[in-house]
Amino acid sequence: MTSKEKIQQEIGQTLQSLDGLKRAEANPFLFTRIKARMDRKANVWERTFSFISKPAIAVAIVVVVMAVNGWALWDGPGTGETISAETNGSELANEYNVVASVDNYDYDNLTNE
Amino acid sequence: MINEAELIEQLKQGDETAFRTIVEQWKDMVYNTILGIVQNETEAEDLAQDVFIKVFEKISTFKGDAKFSTWLYRIATTTALDHLRSKKRKKRFGFLQSLGGDGDEKESIPDFHHPGVSLDNKERAAVLFKAIGALPENQKTAYTLHKLEGLSYRDVSEVLNTSVSAVESLMSRANQNLRKQLEQYYNKHYK
Repeated sequence: MTSKEKIQQEIGQTLQSLDGLKRAEANPFLFTRIKARMDRKANVWERTFSFISKPAIAVAIVVVVMAVNGWALWDGPGTGETISAETNGSELANEYNVVASVDNYDYDNLTNE
Repeated sequence: MINEAELIEQLKQGDETAFRTIVEQWKDMVYNTILGIVQNETEAEDLAQDVFIKVFEKISTFKGDAKFSTWLYRIATTTALDHLRSKKRKKRFGFLQSLGGDGDEKESIPDFHHPGVSLDNKERAAVLFKAIGALPENQKTAYTLHKLEGLSYRDVSEVLNTSVSAVESLMSRANQNLRKQLEQYYNKHYK
C-alpha cells in the first residue's frame, strides 16, 4: 500500500471514529446547581431593591433629585435682569427697527426714531 | 405521566417541579450538544446551566410552532457559539496586550476526548474533534447535531431554520474541509 493510500485509509477511519458514539452525560446534580445560581441571582436583585426602598435611602434619593432639578431651574447666579411684561412696545420696536406700518416700510433707510 | 405540553404550561407558571422535570429530561441532550461545540467539559457544564436558566426565563416566548426539542437545540447551539466567539475575542485582546512577545498567536490546544467515544477510537476521535473545532460555525453546528446527536438532516434544518438542501450542502462542505485538514495532519505525521 502506498503512503497516499495509507493516508486516505487513515482519513476514512478517522471520519468514522464518532460512529456509535454515546451521548455524554451531564452532571447528575445539574438541577441543584441551576437552582443555586437562580437563587443567588434573585438574592442580588432583592438586596438591591430592599436597599433603595429603605425610607432614609428613598428620601435621600428624592432630595438629591429635587436639589439637582432646583439648581437647574434657578440657573446659577445669572445677571439680575428680568424681562418685564410692561416693556414699552415702542422701545422694542426701535431696538429692532420694526416699523408698524407696512406702507411706510423703507428698507434702505432704516433708522432709530 | 404528564405530557410535554402540560409540562411547558406549568413551566410558564413558574412551577419548580415542572422545571426540574424538564432539566432531568433534557440535560444530557443539552450537555452533549454544547460539549461537541465547545470541546471542554467544565465550560459545557456552565453553559448547560446557562441554557436552562434561559429556558426558565424565556419560556413565555415559546409559542409551540416548533418542537420543544428544536427550540432547546437552538438555545444550546447559540449559547455554545456565543461562548466560542467571546473566547476568541478575549484571546485576541490578550494577544494585543502581550505585544512584547514573539507574536505567535497560536497556542497549543489540548486534545479533547469525548467521554462517549469507544476506547479504540479515542485517539482518532481526538484528531477529528480538533478538525471539527476549525470548521466555520454553521458547518460545525450541522456536523455536531448530525454526528453527535444523531439528528436527521430534516431535524438539523429545523434547528438551523433553513432548508434540508442547505443542510446537505453544509454537511458536504464540512466533510470536504475535514478531509482536507486530516490530509494535512496525516501528511505531517506520516512522513
